[in-house]
Amino acid sequence: MAEEKRDFKKRLQGFTSKALKATIKGVLFYGIYFVLSIFLAPISEIVPSFQQTIEIFVIVYIFLMVIGELTSGTIFHHFFNAAKALFVILYLIFSLKGGILSMTVQNVNLIVDLRLFLVVAMLLGLLGFAKSVLQAINFLSEKAEHVHF
Amino acid sequence: MRIPIRMISIATTFFWVFLIVFFVSAAYSVKDVQFEFEEPQVDLTPDNKILFSLPIKIDNKGYYNIGSFNVTTIISDIEGFIISQGSTFIPVIARGKQTIATHNATIDINNLLQNSKDYLFNDTELKVHETVSMELAEVIPVQVSTNFSMPWGAPLYNFTLGGIEYTAFNGTHMTVTVPISFENHAFFDMTGRIQIHMYNSANILVGEGQTTIEAPQNALYNGHAKLSVLIGGITENGHFEVYFSTPFFNFGPLVISYG
Repeated sequence: MAEEKRDFKKRLQGFTSKALKATIKGVLFYGIYFVLSIFLAPISEIVPSFQQTIEIFVIVYIFLMVIGELTSGTIFHHFFNAAKALFVILYLIFSLKGGILSMTVQNVNLIVDLRLFLVVAMLLGLLGFAKSVLQAINFLSEKAEHVHF
Repeated sequence: MRIPIRMISIATTFFWVFLIVFFVSAAYSVKDVQFEFEEPQVDLTPDNKILFSLPIKIDNKGYYNIGSFNVTTIISDIEGFIISQGSTFIPVIARGKQTIATHNATIDINNLLQNSKDYLFNDTELKVHETVSMELAEVIPVQVSTNFSMPWGAPLYNFTLGGIEYTAFNGTHMTVTVPISFENHAFFDMTGRIQIHMYNSANILVGEGQTTIEAPQNALYNGHAKLSVLIGGITENGHFEVYFSTPFFNFGPLVISYG
């Protein structure tokens, strides 16, 4: 009974530390977004949907980050990390409309070519995805070694 | 395996930070770039084409250079026929520096008249397509374009030849006075020569004469041309062939009936 209680306490402690870590990461990420949004304000004034696009990205990214942290120490942690990397790639492709952003205000047509930015971001996203896959393989192989011992 | 994963993590984080900081700072520094398009000026080129000059002042107070700055103007008529095209290219606008450039576009009225003679006699509108493109931080291409209309004032608006007056000159010839009137709606003062050929009803040239014109912009011109005409060739009706010769254009014949 006492051992069960100790085990529960240990698990609770573990979960609390994970939750704390996830909260700190989430708050830190939101803080970075908050600072960057000040610098990106000139774009938001020109492109009204820009702010909303970034906000949706930040919400989903923080959600995946928190879930990923809470499931750390399990294989799901790596799944969520991979999902996060894939989300970044797909969201950038769809929100940047293939890298060519265009908008018309009254009679003025504005085109911004972000293809280079998109390609670099996609490559970094793929690198992140590859890292998650490697981490998952590493996790499974280490777990297998433990079971073997 | 942990070391390679850690190395990938570090590299990915470093490049993400670099990419985001670069992109955000490039976007932020746009607000410190000022473009001033000053009042357009109209002038004449040595080969008598109309020259539109647009002085552009670019003050780059941003963090990065601006590359491949290009201004293109395409002037076309209502039907889309391109009358003039001008382009100004500045390879690099260095950060912290002010660059002044003049964007020029020329209109050759002789080319314009090949499409339609209406430009001489009727006010109309020209379509202007203006494109400004540049590379922010020399890597992010941005293009701004707009269309607008520009009024075209006819230099010979409402050109008319008035009632003919005949006066005796000698036994074989008469002097025919032809009143000329028009309004110069163009954005330039017009000087030149009008030559008139008079044909009778049998389409035979019976006389000719010429006059010089000086019509400031937005002014009404009233003048006359005197023609020496063979008395024997005069008929009740016929036609005039009018030829215009100015520094801006040469046009003719404009056929106007009389009688």
